[in-house]
Amino acid sequence: MWSFSNIANSIHEWLSNNFNPTWTIIIEMVIAGVAVISLFAILGLVLVIMERKVSAWMQIRLGPNRVGPKGMLQSFADTLKLLVKEGLTPGGADKFLFNLAPFIAMIVAMLLMAPIAFAKDFQLWDLNIGVLFVSAVSSIMVISILMAGWASNNKYSLMGAMRSGAQIVSYELSAGLSILAVVVMTGSLQVSEIIESQRNGWWIFKGHLPMLIAFVTFIIAVTAETNRAPFDLAEAESELTAGFHTEYSGMKFALFFLAEYVNVFIVCAIGATLFLGGWMPFHIGNWEGFNHVMDYIPSSIWFFGKTFFLIFLIMWFRWTFPRLRIDQLLNLEWKYLLPISMINLLVVTAMAILGWHF
Amino acid sequence: MTGSDIIFYLLATLCVVFALLSVTTRQIFRAAIYLLFTLIGIAGIYFWLQYEFIAAVQIVVYVGGIVVLIIFSIFLTQQTGEQLPKQKLDRKIFAALAVFAGFALTMVQIYQHTFFETDEMAITPTVENIGKKMLAVDSGGYALPFEVISILLLAALIGCIVIALRTKTESK
Amino acid sequence: MFIKKYIQEIWGAVKSLLKGMRRTGYYFTHHKEIITQQYPDNRETLNLPERFKGEVVMPHDENNEHRCTGCQACELACPNGTIKVIFKNELNAEGKKKKAIDKLVYHLELCTMCNLCIEACPSDAIKMAQTFEHSVFDRNELTKILNKPDSKIMDGVE
Repeated sequence: MWSFSNIANSIHEWLSNNFNPTWTIIIEMVIAGVAVISLFAILGLVLVIMERKVSAWMQIRLGPNRVGPKGMLQSFADTLKLLVKEGLTPGGADKFLFNLAPFIAMIVAMLLMAPIAFAKDFQLWDLNIGVLFVSAVSSIMVISILMAGWASNNKYSLMGAMRSGAQIVSYELSAGLSILAVVVMTGSLQVSEIIESQRNGWWIFKGHLPMLIAFVTFIIAVTAETNRAPFDLAEAESELTAGFHTEYSGMKFALFFLAEYVNVFIVCAIGATLFLGGWMPFHIGNWEGFNHVMDYIPSSIWFFGKTFFLIFLIMWFRWTFPRLRIDQLLNLEWKYLLPISMINLLVVTAMAILGWHF
Repeated sequence: MTGSDIIFYLLATLCVVFALLSVTTRQIFRAAIYLLFTLIGIAGIYFWLQYEFIAAVQIVVYVGGIVVLIIFSIFLTQQTGEQLPKQKLDRKIFAALAVFAGFALTMVQIYQHTFFETDEMAITPTVENIGKKMLAVDSGGYALPFEVISILLLAALIGCIVIALRTKTESK
Repeated sequence: MFIKKYIQEIWGAVKSLLKGMRRTGYYFTHHKEIITQQYPDNRETLNLPERFKGEVVMPHDENNEHRCTGCQACELACPNGTIKVIFKNELNAEGKKKKAIDKLVYHLELCTMCNLCIEACPSDAIKMAQTFEHSVFDRNELTKILNKPDSKIMDGVE
């Protein structure tokens, strides 16, 4: 049967038959790098047109409708525009850090791709602390924003960077705690084991109400961590022009833009892995017949379906809710999300010890 | 020289170069960023040693926590855009001497220590192993440092709350 | 009690957020509600909303008669001096002199379509038209005279 893991295995076999092990590894690394970069490009194109169409339909508009059939090729036109634009560096800027910041944002997004399981047995690096790796590496993201904000030598950029820093540092807590809820249930940080533990039902169904609360907390926290509305104080167009990327133009801006969308994809993929079972098809307990029917749908379709459902949910938030003020933002985190997720983690631990889940 | 060696030397050079840059640069924000790269390089060495857990903790604590804190305090206190004044020569010499003394001490310790090879199997650090080790009270367990650090963090938390409360009552 | 209030707050927040999401979700799934007009393409079938305000016009009936008494209420109401009323004296049926408008000058380039003149008019002589393609090559063309040449005031309008 056609699947990602079969393709990967046949490539690996062919390479090991024709080259020595070192070259096999190097060629495989190159292939993986190219695959990740092309995935980035495709994600950028798809998510931008998706965002624009979703926002238009939610605001009773038509959205882009001139380039290509129903405007579906709009993002190609956008990309072309960004490619040929001049990348300006402002006079008073710290040139080295200014030019470095977008690349750090991009590299962090690339590193986060490593532990994501895109389909059954199809994963770049199944390291034994996968989930911790994701939350660790994603904390470097804030550095690129702070760097961009400071190096631009612009008060709006600096304010945006400061806000974004405070926001990401505080929302990392509740995101981490809601991830821990799943880790407590599974007893493992490894992505493949977390997915395997959901063979007889996804955690959001198996874990009763506490898991649902953890899921909602996770979605709110990651929306804030990726700086998307209603938590887009870091770029708040109406008050800070564009926040930390005010001074960026051309391809450097495009890298920030792309990194934002790729980060949305990554956090949604992690959310889908933790709570909705990753590539695991929809299984109900011991209904063998039903489970068997569900297995016929390829695992990659399950994974991308779930991820894009979560991405749609985050876009839905963005185009429905108004932006929070900075004090409301911090209140929400420290007075509501953090205590709730802490108590929730206690309840989940009790459930895991007493075996109250299915 | 194997690929593994090449990776190690790359990471080591990265650490050393950025560490040197972070003490020699005269722009304080750049110093913080160079420090960040040094810490990431050290995390890379942990990954190279296949201590993924330690590497991830290194990134969470040092990169995500401490460097962000340093950058925040730079933003809030310093005239960040300006260059720091040049240091006097005697200060430079004393700083270099202090660093050299520390370096020499470490190197002497390392050379005097006899490393012996072990043929025991490496323990895979699963979450369960780490958790058990963290709370073990027998030899090699980390229960005492773990609890001491918890007390330190608790004291810091209480201190924060006290400071936050006091400013609120004064403003009324 | 504190806990009760806390939980009530969260419950209220979740409920109101879901209400907002239901609304946008409804619009997302119901494409018939889309109000965007694809303007240059559908110039013939353009469907403007009733309250769209394009410019001030003065309707005339088939006898070339309008309803303007020249009371200057519109001129006074206009916040930026868009309307000027120029008078002439006219003899009415009984041979008496009567004030009537000669020209009602309207500067489209100054107008903000605020509708205050229409609300001020006591005899409903002027109204807002739905035309909006106002661009011309010479700005003098934007100064318009609203009453048609040789038009008269309608009988019975005071």
